[in-house]
Amino acid sequence: MEQDPRAPEAPTRVAADSKGPRAQFDDIEVGRVLGEMEWVVTEEMIDTQCAIDADYDVWYSLESPWGGRIAPPQISYRPPRWLLSRTFNVRGLFYRWEMENLRPIRPGVTMRVSARISDKYLKNEREFIVYESEARDPEGNVVFRTKRTHVLDFIDRSAQRAGEGIDSGIKAERI
Amino acid sequence: MPVLTRDSPVGLTLPEFACQFTLAHFKRADEQTIHTDMEAARREGLPAPVATGPQVAALLFRQLRTCYGRGWIEGGRCELTFRRQVYVTDFCVARGVITRREDSAGGTRLHCDVWIENASGDKVIVGNASGIVQ
Repeated sequence: MEQDPRAPEAPTRVAADSKGPRAQFDDIEVGRVLGEMEWVVTEEMIDTQCAIDADYDVWYSLESPWGGRIAPPQISYRPPRWLLSRTFNVRGLFYRWEMENLRPIRPGVTMRVSARISDKYLKNEREFIVYESEARDPEGNVVFRTKRTHVLDFIDRSAQRAGEGIDSGIKAERI
Repeated sequence: MPVLTRDSPVGLTLPEFACQFTLAHFKRADEQTIHTDMEAARREGLPAPVATGPQVAALLFRQLRTCYGRGWIEGGRCELTFRRQVYVTDFCVARGVITRREDSAGGTRLHCDVWIENASGDKVIVGNASGIVQ
């Protein structure tokens, strides 16, 4: 059948961006370890996080009950995302965020952040991946735990992959 | 001082935190992202640049820090679902209500339903949160 020239262009899912091919659902293996990283929050990173979120508090800027400043707990968003991006180029959209704050995040403390893929599933013709992460302080105490779900594409999975995206899941590792 | 205490009743409404977002909230250097650039968003099938989820959710984190105080920093939990796109010029307000109390080793854990609404009253982020209060 001849295509109606007035028909809208069929939607496609982005196949690649400047950082390389986008991760495919079939490539993502449940249980895959996403590695570990050391992470030290600095005073400047706290300032940046407060500015990004317009979330200002005496505890974050001046003094807290734990002695000195602490970081807003949501600063923990980024390292697990960086670990995901080191293995898989997932732009996608953020769908679900579980967060548990166990200890304050303090500047100058070296934490070890680890992550793994914990699930993947299909829902409403879209592809979802789930990863879990935790950070520990030098004494081995858990500072935070998190579980995240991302949908790989806004466009449903029946659309072919083609063309290049401008944005990427792989970004500079900075707050 | 945290807003919530062990005497806070189920059904109590949490204080609201609101923001009128603008494109400037999401700019990072000269990056072209789905959060700042129309063409980058269009290529992903989005009609317009969308807000970053964590920045919108930050309204809830301000609310929870205010409500629980130390109990948010040590022992705070939340589970949030991003149900609908928030566009970069949307107005959003964080709301919540206490739903349940639970005895806990460190005090009383108060559970809340929390959500973010846009100007049309659509719940764009929904979920629950809890923290320890004294």
